[in-house]
Parts: sequence; structure tokens; C-alpha cells
Amino acid sequence: MWSDESLRQSRETEAKWSDDFARISQRFGVKPAERQRVTHSGIPLKPVYFPHDIGQIGWNDLGAPGAHPYTRGLYATQYQFMPWANQPVIGCGLPEHTRQRMDYLAAQGMVGYFGNRFYNLVYDLVAHEGLDPDHPAARGRIGQGGMAVYSKRDMATLFEGLDLTQMNVVHITYYQTAPAFAQYLAYAEDQGVPWEKLRGNTMNWYHQAAYVGMSCFPPRSAMKLAVQLIHFCSRRMPQWNTTNFFGYGVEESGGTAAQEVGLMLAAGAAYTEACLRAGLRPDEFLPRFGFQIAQANDFFEEICKVRALRKLWATQNRERFGAKDPRSMHVRIHTHTSGAVLTRQQPLNNLIRTTLHTLGAALAGVQAMEVCGYDEALAIPTEEAATLALRAQQIIQEETNITAVSDPLGGSYYVEWLTEQVGAAALEVQRRIEEAGGYVRAWETGLVRSTVEQSAYEWREAVNRGERIVVGVNKYVTEKEPPVPVFRVDPEVERIAVERLERLRAERDQARWKAAMEDLRREARAFAAKEIQDLDGDYALIETLVEAARADATIGEMMGVLKEHLGWGPAH
Amino acid sequence: MAKDRIKVLLAKPTLDCHDRGVRYLMRVLRDAGMEVVFTNFLLPQEVIGVALQEDVDVVGISSSSGGHMPVLEELRALLDAHEMGHTLLLVGGVIPEDDLPRLETLGARRVFGPGAPAADVVAFIESEVGGKETRHAGA
Repeated sequence: MWSDESLRQSRETEAKWSDDFARISQRFGVKPAERQRVTHSGIPLKPVYFPHDIGQIGWNDLGAPGAHPYTRGLYATQYQFMPWANQPVIGCGLPEHTRQRMDYLAAQGMVGYFGNRFYNLVYDLVAHEGLDPDHPAARGRIGQGGMAVYSKRDMATLFEGLDLTQMNVVHITYYQTAPAFAQYLAYAEDQGVPWEKLRGNTMNWYHQAAYVGMSCFPPRSAMKLAVQLIHFCSRRMPQWNTTNFFGYGVEESGGTAAQEVGLMLAAGAAYTEACLRAGLRPDEFLPRFGFQIAQANDFFEEICKVRALRKLWATQNRERFGAKDPRSMHVRIHTHTSGAVLTRQQPLNNLIRTTLHTLGAALAGVQAMEVCGYDEALAIPTEEAATLALRAQQIIQEETNITAVSDPLGGSYYVEWLTEQVGAAALEVQRRIEEAGGYVRAWETGLVRSTVEQSAYEWREAVNRGERIVVGVNKYVTEKEPPVPVFRVDPEVERIAVERLERLRAERDQARWKAAMEDLRREARAFAAKEIQDLDGDYALIETLVEAARADATIGEMMGVLKEHLGWGPAH
Repeated sequence: MAKDRIKVLLAKPTLDCHDRGVRYLMRVLRDAGMEVVFTNFLLPQEVIGVALQEDVDVVGISSSSGGHMPVLEELRALLDAHEMGHTLLLVGGVIPEDDLPRLETLGARRVFGPGAPAADVVAFIESEVGGKETRHAGA
């Protein structure tokens, strides 16, 4: 980008600056070497950057928004005609309580792509574990952290009167992805909506069991479930977004920005290779992969991480996997602002933190956002907190002119340099995982887990030593804090959910249910014996799950069968 | 033979994905010379099973997604039923303030919320579980 003469002048300029810096340092009595600043990923920073710091970056490396390698954004228009989609995570209590929050936020201006409704719905902890509300472990957890939706009938309550063809529905599950999806498909059928007209997302993110401590199917079974869903949707529901790469969980578990990017590149490569083994072509499924990415406290590194991920994913898919469709190169990002960096202490401070995260994501140019409620470290957000989180997005979108210019930080010596550095560090993380046998192997051996956990440990130790500041926790601590209102799920929810389940079991067509469950058991057993390459066009398990859902089988019943035949347990 | 180290069981519901804190604490307690067992559990019975088998001095329950109250209620009953009433019971994670009095009556001796220094947990365990030597570096 720079002529030799420009680079020479740039170095000269830095040399002069360096003299000034040294002189002032001396006046402060500071040795600069002892004040080395580093990013959260451990990348050492200079106090200022010059053109020669990015001298090796060519015009073609940067490109334009909407052009390979997409460092500057996925689309030529970026936010010009349509800002990012507001995607608050919604889910609490019974389906009708969740629906209330959906309608309320829609009335507050929550909007998705092209003005469509966009519902980012999270299931409760009971469904996440693949249980029904009458299981002993469900006590105290029904409708907690998500919605108490366990059957097609619950879905009918949730979506009553809504036109499924006019909205995107994100089903935030853990590993009950396939049964919950089957229930949605069965519900759509009841509404007369053809599956190919459905838009939305399944999570399909079994890979996160490598670093998130919930029970899951063992890696080999999990990968087969993932591939079957991707294959099925690629052929039958081309508008459906199949898979969400959960970078967010890496950072929330304590990983760094570089680990978040590196591990998602490795997980993405593992999924891609598995899909190729099952007979799909790259451009059939890559366009429907998406990413959930964290926006945490290291402001510039978090922005550069997003830019680096865009570039590296595009490069990986084009050069390593031979993808040709530009959409296969796209890292469609749903930003989730970090919950782990929010504090219980002085909770209103979290509004300031989340606003900075939102700003960072906007400057990075992501496609959709969920902004945490300021009370997230205390409980499910109250309606007030959820509204403020939406307002943070709306204020940045509509008051600040930030959306007027695409990739507003592009060309900054610092930002371009750091984008390169985070990218290099991420590739190193990916290389270590792949040298150890690839992502699935590193999931099995615990290498992914230990990589992330070591960073979590180092971060916490740095906080303990006061090297990393957490306002209100290790600095500016106050003794007495005024209480803030905390959201509580109505205790009646438990009783009602169990009652509904009992009624469903009594009222459903017993013969149909019994036959469907028998088919499911047979197919689950057969699926357990299959290899990934056997799944080319084999949708038997998904089809039997859909039939079970039609017959009003519950999440707990379907997951019970899958767990029995495919295995289940904590990863580490 | 008497144990010479404090033995701690840390347990987290498998339904709860938030395990960063408890896994960090596991390491800190080990570094402080304690023996630490960690388990995910679905039902409180599983916690008691491990606590009995491992003969622990301390049981710490981590919960950051709600649902802690039924767990603690059942755990209390099970500890008493198995003559483990003396076991030091601790809770950590995201626990609403309103729940604290009830947890205290259930015998949870201390609740450590988000951001609580791990050193406080070490100090509290050491002060409560007396008569045991802890193996400090260099000691």
C-alpha cells in the first residue's frame, strides 16, 4: 500500500517520536520496558502505530466491504440500508410468558433483517438437559434461563397467531437440537407451512461440549447428529441456518480472542470435513453456517478479532475446501456481548460495559446482536433491563451516525496491525489443535478444555494481583450497594408445566405415539452403528424424530432414546 | 489412618453451563494444599454418593442458573440422613440475595457470589475445618 519512500519517512517519523517518548518517560521516571501493555490474548502493544507497521499488507489483502477476503465486512452495503438485526435472547417461564416478552420487545422496535420479525428463543435448563418437567432434576429449573417448551403443543402456545413464513426463529438449544427442531417442523406442518419456507437457526453446536461443562453426546455420535441435520437442511430446507459456531462460549469460559477465533476455525474445519465425507459439496452447506461471537472488554482486540475471523474463514473455505460461492466465505456473526465480564457488584456499571461492547460490535460490522441486560450477573433480565439493552442498540443505530460509513476503523495503522496479529495468533491455536489430531480428537482428549481453562486461570490470577482491573470488584469497591430489582420466574410455572405434560400424555393418540417411539428406538440403534459417510442422504433418524414430534412426543422422551443409544455424559 | 489434608468435593449441576468459577476454584484449593474432587451431577443423591465414597470434609455446590434451592434442601436432608451433618457446606455462583436466609437455615455456612476472592474461600475452609494440616509450598 505504501511506496518505499513513504515507508522510509514513516520509520523516520517513528524514530523522532521514539526520542520524544523516551524523554518524557524519563521525566515520569518510567522505564517503558517495564510498562509493556498487552492485549487479553497476550499480544504486546506499541504505544503508537505507523504506516510501516502495516507495510506488508497489500490493497488486495484488505479489499472492500463485500469483497474477498471480507476483512472489511461481508456486504458492499454493510449497514447503509439495513443496520444489524436486534436479536435479544428471549425465554422465561411458560410459553405464554415468553410470548409476552417477544411481543413486548417487538413493540419496542426490535427488528430483524428486511423488517422481518426475528425471535431468538432460548429453551429452559430442563429441555437443555433433555428432560421433561416431571423429572426430579427439573425442580427449581422449569422456565429458568429459558422457556418451558417441551412439545409441539407448547410450541403452538408460543407461536399462536404468528405467520411462520414471515419470521426468523432461532432455536437456542443445547444438545436437544434435533428433537426441538423436529417439534418445530411438526408444528409447521400443522400450520400448513412447507418446511422449505421456514427461516431460522438451529444451534447444532455439539462442538462446544469441548469447553462448556454440560453433559453431551460423545464426540463421534455428536458429529454424526450434526452432519445429518446439515445434510437434511441443505437438501430440503435451503433457507435454514443449520449450525452456529459458539465462539462466545470460548471467551465466556475464559479463553482469549485468539483462542475464540482459532478454535472456531478448527471446529469449522472439522464440521466441513465431516460434511464433505457425507457427500455434500462445500457450497451446499457452508453458506448456512453462522457464528456467535463474544464482544468483551478488550475493546480494539475484540473488533480486530471479528475482522480477522472474517478473513481467515473466507481464506480457509476458499483455499482449503475449494468453496466458490461468496456466501460460503461469509462469517455471518451474531454478537453476544460478554456476560462473564459483567459484575454483581455495582450492577448499573454493566450498562456502561454493555454499551461499549455494542459499540465495538457495531464498529466491527456484525450482522446481529444480543446485548446483555445489566442485571445478567444476578438473574434473567427484568423487562426494564431487556429494554435498556435494546435501546443501547437503537441509540447507536439511530442517533450517532456510526452506521453511515462501513468499516469505519479500516486503515487505522493500529487496527490493521492488530487484525493481523490476532489472526496470526488464532492460526497458531488452530495449528496446535490440528497437529494434535484435529478438533474432534482435541475435544476427546481434553486439549480444547485445558487450552481454554489455562487462560481462564491466568485471567483470574491477573485480577487477583490487580493487574487486570474490574471496577467494583478489585478497584473502586463500595461497601453498601442499593438493591436492584431482580427478575423471578413465577413458582406456579413448575406446577402448570407438569400439569400440562400430564394432560398431554393422557390426551395424545397412544397408539401413534407408541409406534413412533418404537421407530425412533430402532433408528437410534441403527444410527449408532453408522459412520459419517453412511449419512449421504440418510435422514432416517431425523424423519423418525419428526414423526415422534407429530405424535406429541416430548423432549425428554426423544432425548431419552437418543441418550440411551448414542451415549451421554459430561465431556470431562 | 487419619487424613492429613482437607478434602473438598466441588459439585456443579450438569444442567448449568457456568463452570468457569468452580473449575478455577478447584485449582486454587489444590494449590492451597487441599485434595479436591469435582463432579457434575443431575441429582443431589449423586453428590452424596461421591461425598461418602471420598469421605470429604467440605461440600461446595456451584450454581449459576437457578434451581439451587431444591438441590440444597435435598442435600441437607441427605447429609443428615448419612450422618454427614458435620460436613462444611458451601455454595457459590449466582444466588439471589433473598435466598440467603433460607440457605443459612439449610446449613450452608457461606455463599460466595460472583467476584468473591478465591483466597477467601481457602481461608474460610481452613478456619472451619480445624485440626488438619494443609500443605503449603515449602512447608
